[in-house]
Amino acid sequence: MIPDVLRQYQSEIVEALGETFVMVGVSVVAAVLIGLPIGTFLFLCRKGSLLENKWVYSILDTLVNIVRSIPFLLLVVFLIPFTRLLIGTAIGTAAATVPLAIIAIAHYSRLAEQSMLDVPRGVLEAAVAMGASVKDVIFKFLYVEARSGLVFGLTTSTVSFISYSTVMGIVGGGGIGDFAIRYGYQQFKTDLMLYVMIIMVIIVQLLQFVGTTVARKIDKR
Amino acid sequence: MIKLTNVSKSFAQFQAIKSVSLTINSSEIYGIIGASGAGKSTLLRLMNILDTPDSGEVEVNGQLLTSLSQAELRQARKAIGMIFQQFNLLANKTAYQNVLIPLQLVDFPRHERKARVMECLDFVGLGHAADKYPAQLSGGQKQRIAIARALASSPQVLLCDEPTSSLDASTTAEILSVLDKINKELGVTIVIVSHEMEVIKSICNRVSVMAEGEIYDTLAIEPQGVQHLEKSPQSFVEQLKGEGGG
Repeated sequence: MIPDVLRQYQSEIVEALGETFVMVGVSVVAAVLIGLPIGTFLFLCRKGSLLENKWVYSILDTLVNIVRSIPFLLLVVFLIPFTRLLIGTAIGTAAATVPLAIIAIAHYSRLAEQSMLDVPRGVLEAAVAMGASVKDVIFKFLYVEARSGLVFGLTTSTVSFISYSTVMGIVGGGGIGDFAIRYGYQQFKTDLMLYVMIIMVIIVQLLQFVGTTVARKIDKR
Repeated sequence: MIKLTNVSKSFAQFQAIKSVSLTINSSEIYGIIGASGAGKSTLLRLMNILDTPDSGEVEVNGQLLTSLSQAELRQARKAIGMIFQQFNLLANKTAYQNVLIPLQLVDFPRHERKARVMECLDFVGLGHAADKYPAQLSGGQKQRIAIARALASSPQVLLCDEPTSSLDASTTAEILSVLDKINKELGVTIVIVSHEMEVIKSICNRVSVMAEGEIYDTLAIEPQGVQHLEKSPQSFVEQLKGEGGG
């Protein structure tokens, strides 16, 4: 059932998958813990919104755009000094999580902002009329109504993070994508490369299935 | 109960309200009618500072809202209920959870919340729909849930922004009866903005007519009571014949 070449490289594949899991996991955590608040501020600080503030909006908006417009490989290289400062080294899986987390934050903050823009203005207006504080508006109204879009966006982002993580071989980050290139492509084991691609397709399909199912389940609109 | 003194409000170049003063007494049902663009919704939104007036004073429940800090204003708003043309319910919360929100905001005693929510839902006749999501309810039911939500924290004032304008005639009557009941049984002061003459005539004691951002006239009227429209097919046929045959 399982091809011999996969059996042969089983331990390497498992290790590479573990590295991918760490890189993507850190990205997802960064996206939720930092990207979501930034997306929320982008939403709240825009013109006509609750905390309208031209300066905060412009600064966040520009930062998010800059990070997203730099080709990712260049961003990784550009961030090497910063990574070294933060982690102590610029090489390895831990170091690779730094640029991944940064692109993850920028990526998800934009998607989070967009899903909040889908919440009807009137609902937030009703919240204000009820005497809700900004914190109440965010947690009791905004996130409740945007939750399906937030989950959808996080699923889309996570798939992108997996894709971004595949190039982290450049700084020794490892991961399943790096494995496919080093063992499959560079050692002319085309079948191995193909199998790894199939594994990744299955992972992404599963992820998307779970994300879509959850998003649909919590959407009562 | 509500006192506006020389309030004005502009949006960009457009002057929506031009120095309006009016007084609404306690336990009144006060109507504001006018063509679209006359400024009636804006005037209502000034009453809980949903729109901040450019000048003038707004007093509600004896508090000068225009002089309050943000925190004090939030507190004051908890005693002012509001309902909207589009209901503005949370689509991802059940009717019960929607009505629960204002109780959470006012820190209502936890163990009494359930009873209070059910009391409000029963008051609008929707106790049986507590576990339904707004998408499962009709327009009239949604508006009644919104009314229950507005009532939960026992406000002294209820502001209604075109409450029946997206509803059909028979559902309109249903909502107006509920509003009338709130006024009679709970003594809540109600302000209704509407462009529909029938709505204003049926339950209001006093009415201001607005035009071009100003109050054109204010008059006391005798509320005619809510006309309960039949919605059986036969009634439609009879109405059609009656109108056509003369």
